[in-house]
Amino acid sequence: MERALKLVAASLPLVFAFAFLVPVIDQGMRALGLGAPFGLSTLTFALIVGGAWGLFAQVTGRWI
Amino acid sequence: MNAQSPILPEDLSQLSDGELKRLELKIARKHSGMVPWDAVIWAFANMAVWLSLWPLVFSGLLPLWIAFPIATINMALVYLPTHEAQHDIIARPGTKLRWLNELVGHATSWMLIFPFEVLRITHLDHHRHTNDPELDVDITTKAPGPWSAIWYAIKNRQPNAKRNHDYAASIMRAGRTDLILLSLAYKIGFIAILGTLAWNGYALEALLLWWLPYQIAITYIVFFLSWAPHHPSNEQGRYRNSRAWKSKVGNWGSMWMQFHIVHHLHPYIPLTRTPAAFWEMKPILEARGCELGEL
Repeated sequence: MERALKLVAASLPLVFAFAFLVPVIDQGMRALGLGAPFGLSTLTFALIVGGAWGLFAQVTGRWI
Repeated sequence: MNAQSPILPEDLSQLSDGELKRLELKIARKHSGMVPWDAVIWAFANMAVWLSLWPLVFSGLLPLWIAFPIATINMALVYLPTHEAQHDIIARPGTKLRWLNELVGHATSWMLIFPFEVLRITHLDHHRHTNDPELDVDITTKAPGPWSAIWYAIKNRQPNAKRNHDYAASIMRAGRTDLILLSLAYKIGFIAILGTLAWNGYALEALLLWWLPYQIAITYIVFFLSWAPHHPSNEQGRYRNSRAWKSKVGNWGSMWMQFHIVHHLHPYIPLTRTPAAFWEMKPILEARGCELGEL
């Protein structure tokens, strides 16, 4: 249990990004009637943006 | 408001250090010792309102855009009852209502994604080491002005922020390494709840009822409870490590923090009694060379 917690904690920004940020971007865009560029679905776009942001936070230790 | 306390003599300049201390204690005791039922009601009413927002929004009875500011206010109001419990103000160890003190602490702190014991240990450490650059867990809120204070409050919540390490160090000093794991479990649990809601189609509800209100509230709490009452955070003496100041948003808007100096001197006085204690104590605080702003 302790090991599992530490493992998740070590990748918390990425976990947060895929667990929460991606669906927030996806559902937020749909609620605002915004389309994704390049013919992408809003979910694909959210996975790219949210995933990249999460990776940035994971590597740099900051979201902004 | 500035009328001399009946406890105090006309002229304090001739009093010794010990005599001033005795008078100060006499005033502090006058304003402490009672159960702050307002804080208890505040804690549970606030939590009940926030919890009720979820079914109201999910059932469509309350629009999300109305629930969002209410949730933000709820989040901002969570900390102070917990703070009363951290200081054992509701009931001291060994007293009949001790369970209530602990219940208020535990029942509310989870909304801020912190175990109650973590808040208690780190906050009491802040009192022991106020403005110490190495040991004060809140020293990272030190900022040259209000805008930078807001910016620092946001920066301090980043994954690798020094504040996280300061909190962990404080817990380690207390010998409670178990609480580090518990804190992690709270954070992971928070993300699990947000994620479960979000992937079931309630991402915006989770965002606007919890995550964003939490972020706004923490910034507000840090600004008024940590930065403003300690600014400029350069001194460590008992009478100089905190201050009184006149808030542009008034007493309620600053959550009684204009009188935070009284809390640091006598942390057992209930929050809502600190203004009265301050006005009575003011001549002593002036004699002690405290920073009292325009109050």
